Amino acid sequence: MPAQANANVIALQLEKVRDKVPLLYERDDILLTMIQQRGDIEKISSRNMRLPLQVNPGGKAGSYNADGGDLGRGSGSQYDVAQVSPIFFRFAIEITKLAEYATTGRERAVEDSTKREVVNGMRQFRAFLDKLMQTAGNGVLGTINTVSGTTFTMAVPNGAALVYPGQTIQIYDTTLTTNRNASSGVTTTVQTADPITTQNIVVDNVPPGTVATDVIVHDGLSGAQPVSLYGIKYHQNNATTGTWLNLNRAQYPVILATPRVNAGNAALTPANVRLAINKVRKSLGINHLSKLIAYMAVEQEHAWENLGITVSQVIKEGGGGNGNDLDLLFTGRKTMSGIPIKSSVNADQTRVDFLDLSHWGRAVLKDIDFYEVNGNTVFPIYGGSGGLASAFIFYFDTAFQVFDDSPRSGAYIDTLARPSGY
Amino acid sequence: MGGWAFSKASMIHVLRETHEAPPEIAARLKSAGGLNRWGEANYRVVWGWNRLGWIGGKFEDRTPAGQLLREVVELRREPKYAEVNRWHVERWVPPEAYGSPRTWYAQTMERAAGRSVPALGPYPARGEYEHCFTIQGVRGEFLQLTPSIVERVAQAIEWSRGRPKSNRREKLYEREAHQERSYEQWAFDVMDDAVPALHGQPFVTVA
Repeated sequence: MPAQANANVIALQLEKVRDKVPLLYERDDILLTMIQQRGDIEKISSRNMRLPLQVNPGGKAGSYNADGGDLGRGSGSQYDVAQVSPIFFRFAIEITKLAEYATTGRERAVEDSTKREVVNGMRQFRAFLDKLMQTAGNGVLGTINTVSGTTFTMAVPNGAALVYPGQTIQIYDTTLTTNRNASSGVTTTVQTADPITTQNIVVDNVPPGTVATDVIVHDGLSGAQPVSLYGIKYHQNNATTGTWLNLNRAQYPVILATPRVNAGNAALTPANVRLAINKVRKSLGINHLSKLIAYMAVEQEHAWENLGITVSQVIKEGGGGNGNDLDLLFTGRKTMSGIPIKSSVNADQTRVDFLDLSHWGRAVLKDIDFYEVNGNTVFPIYGGSGGLASAFIFYFDTAFQVFDDSPRSGAYIDTLARPSGY
Repeated sequence: MGGWAFSKASMIHVLRETHEAPPEIAARLKSAGGLNRWGEANYRVVWGWNRLGWIGGKFEDRTPAGQLLREVVELRREPKYAEVNRWHVERWVPPEAYGSPRTWYAQTMERAAGRSVPALGPYPARGEYEHCFTIQGVRGEFLQLTPSIVERVAQAIEWSRGRPKSNRREKLYEREAHQERSYEQWAFDVMDDAVPALHGQPFVTVA
């Protein structure tokens, strides 16, 4: 009987925690996981999922002459089909022998390092996917404002908010045509990122030709006009050209356009909010507000607080700390003109989105799990010599796409100023 | 058949139920939140159906099934908040918070079918009351406006008046960091559930 290899032990540990992985992933505290896998949609195959949309109502209304007049012909509703195809995402986690040896006790060591890496990896993977949710579906995580050596100062939005230290990134030209890393064979990894004050990203290698206005995309994308997760800016968009889920926006300029309020680089005001909310009410009905959430960056939540009209948090904390049973009567949820606020450090700092999540869904081809080949979930790393390297690797992977079957059910305010101090 | 019998058609349908907040409640909020420059209360409680606001532009009137009935360009007074059957606490916001009248009309004027309509109505020259929060239970259920609830709201308002604004930003980031830590702690707890009791170490039962 061969000696037990460490890979076998780690594989056993992974199997032990396998059913916990979906739990760690699906926790309902980030936007991505607030968007539910839709129960009314079959789990999709690798073919496009089709979303039938009623694009125009049917029927011919009018008066007629009852004294033998012609009642005319009718018409039916018009439908078109939006299509969604899943994108595969992976998160690779490597454990070195040193990490294992760093703790004493053989069994506990393996268990602890596995547990730690699964938790850390899942947290980071969730964060990565949530960051993609803030994008326009092309994988662009930020735009370079200035280049100074290996330091990029990023343009707001999104500044340096959508990358993390250790992440492999790629640099494209501003038209998303030339992949500078692919053409030069250079790998670029983020060393540090400051998404709050300087908006600087420091990287290890800068591919030749990198200039201001270039954009940063995530690892794994290739070719011109790459396609990634369809995020908020893809669906909540008032463009009348281009495509949306394979439909031509120019063909349906009204029903595919999300109502927009342009704040003109000014600070958030109650009028902005009312304008956005009223646009939804006018197009969908005066009482159509019950399912909206106001999704925004912490900076815009701060801007709203600065207006001094959020009292719910005060109620929750409040009254000089002499909390009593009445605390239980209030939801304690901060609201924006009655719409519950959901804020995120990943959201665009110059934007507020009003989302009706009942229209959003995830089309899933593969649920999150360990990547598996013939029952194996842990794989050895090979050294340059062809021999084993003292490390192992395992992956999380998933395949899905995000859709919104009614872009008009939301609204957004953009080009907002950030409050002072940022 | 004796007794009362109503056909559906003869029943009275209440379309809009209005209520005014009792004067003693208004007085309590006035003493807690102070007065604005016009001598009016900074805070007030309003019933959802009573609170109307201007909405202008092109409306698409639809049937309950969502079918489009008509499109019309006009200025309407409609309930300002979606929760029409709830009490809402509002705070007065000064006119300067809405910018100048020129900015207001530049930002809110909508043009539809050849007409220009101010989407939020006329400029709020005397300021405007804005939504603070809705008085309702944790599951969104109706809560009546009782003296004890109003007292609690008033206490919180009084408490908040002495609170510096400067630390709010830090508090928001602290909250986010706390959520991150709580996820990590929760995740480790979940993982601990996946391993045998006492991490598989042998143990004996002590009587």
